[in-house]
Amino acid sequence: MIEVRDLSIQIKGKHITHHIDFTITRGNITSLIGESGSGKSMTVSALLGMLPDDAKVSGSIMYEGRNLLDASDQEMESVRKQDVFTIFQDALNSFNPSVKMGRQLYAFSGERVGDSLPVFNEKMHVILEKLGLSWEVVEQYPFQLSGGMLQRCMIACAFYVEPALLIADEPTSALDMVLQKEFIQLLIRLNEEKGTTIFLITHDLDIVAKAAHEMVVMQQGRIVETGKVETIFSHPGHAYTKRLLKSRF
Amino acid sequence: MKLRKALLFWYSLLGLIVFLTVFSTIFSPYSPNEMNMDEIYSAPSSDHWLGTDHLGRDVFSRLLEGGKVTLVVASGSVILSLFIGIVYGGISGYFGGVIDTVMMRLLEALITIPALIIILVFQVIVQGGMWSMALLIGLTGWLVTARIVRSEFIRLKEEEFIKMANMLGTPVWNILWGHLLRNSIPAIFVVTLFNFAGAIFMEVSLSFLGIGIPPTIPSWGNMLYYAQNDILIGAWWIGLFPGIMIFLTILAINFIGEAWKNPERRRVND
Repeated sequence: MIEVRDLSIQIKGKHITHHIDFTITRGNITSLIGESGSGKSMTVSALLGMLPDDAKVSGSIMYEGRNLLDASDQEMESVRKQDVFTIFQDALNSFNPSVKMGRQLYAFSGERVGDSLPVFNEKMHVILEKLGLSWEVVEQYPFQLSGGMLQRCMIACAFYVEPALLIADEPTSALDMVLQKEFIQLLIRLNEEKGTTIFLITHDLDIVAKAAHEMVVMQQGRIVETGKVETIFSHPGHAYTKRLLKSRF
Repeated sequence: MKLRKALLFWYSLLGLIVFLTVFSTIFSPYSPNEMNMDEIYSAPSSDHWLGTDHLGRDVFSRLLEGGKVTLVVASGSVILSLFIGIVYGGISGYFGGVIDTVMMRLLEALITIPALIIILVFQVIVQGGMWSMALLIGLTGWLVTARIVRSEFIRLKEEEFIKMANMLGTPVWNILWGHLLRNSIPAIFVVTLFNFAGAIFMEVSLSFLGIGIPPTIPSWGNMLYYAQNDILIGAWWIGLFPGIMIFLTILAINFIGEAWKNPERRRVND
């Protein structure tokens, strides 16, 4: 679905990524794993066309036959709006603190796909119920909800939009263990029920083991290993992957 | 709990002052400019609660009417400075880079000149009444507001929800209005409140110097100006009561502003 080839990102003369190659296959959960500072987030920014202005990029990101790096701002905007849904690390900060949840959920979901408010209310009601959230959340402000609830609200929007690709950038690092598990279950559900392709960025191998089909291991701006999760877990090829696996509890 | 009660007291006091001055025509027993030469310098009594001045005008009536003038000038100037401050600070904070640098250096240059001096110079040119006073105080009072708006915008610009909005292609005006400005309101409110106290103080000082509100219009500053001589002959009531009113109003606003500064108070249901 997305093929990243020879992608190098340079910011102010500093190499963030070196000639990286990986593929996100349709219908799968692909996980990008690596320590902090390994260039994961910048890779995501490149996918979304959201790199800072002073970044130099080379290589290609092929999505449905076109190179996203050459796409115009308008094209990129339509891709971001219609095809991709992104969940960030900190759900609390992903919502405007002074606007009630209902309006924001609408902006993130119904409005994007062009649904009217009544249609949104009806559809969202069902989705929130399915995810174990009460309808009352729409009348509340973000700071009145817990981190887990907010992250579930985000997932609810993803369920609503049914994007071609869901990018989740460290979605669980602000949650406790129980909520992490719940959240991963929801991601798997989204993948199984709607067939959504998910690109999951994380530094937590347990999450990869639980959720992902394929994984990409990144270290200091380079891809050191890619492949099926089971294969890599049973036969890690690179020294860094071995170390990662060893450091698991 | 104790703090809350004290705050409630300041709220009520300010509310009472505003209420009395706004409806001064109803509450004042005499017309503020009605002279009575038979009763000049009469001390506070049941007829004239706060006494009369050198022209036999009722001090209580003038106090209420003068309060209205002072508060209207202060409000007018604060609204003006709020508007300029938000636009200036907003542009500077949102665009950043060279625009921000240039605008901030200019602002710093302006900040170094005391507002009183600028107003003095312009007062010579316009020699204005009430509204030109409001205009002048407003035109010199927006600097701090602009700084606060700028720093709030810079802080908020980096937040994830703004990035989300950008990603979804939210129009710029919507980001400015619905995301940036909306979340800056608590900070802007506090600085505006202090600006309001500052504007009252500015009007009073200018009128006290005799270059503010024209003598025909009563204001708290004007009353103090004319009371200077009266104090020498023992008519303390003419100067004391406007003084107390100015003192209490500014004090109340400062206490309220101080309470709003505390971020815990901003959130009602946390």
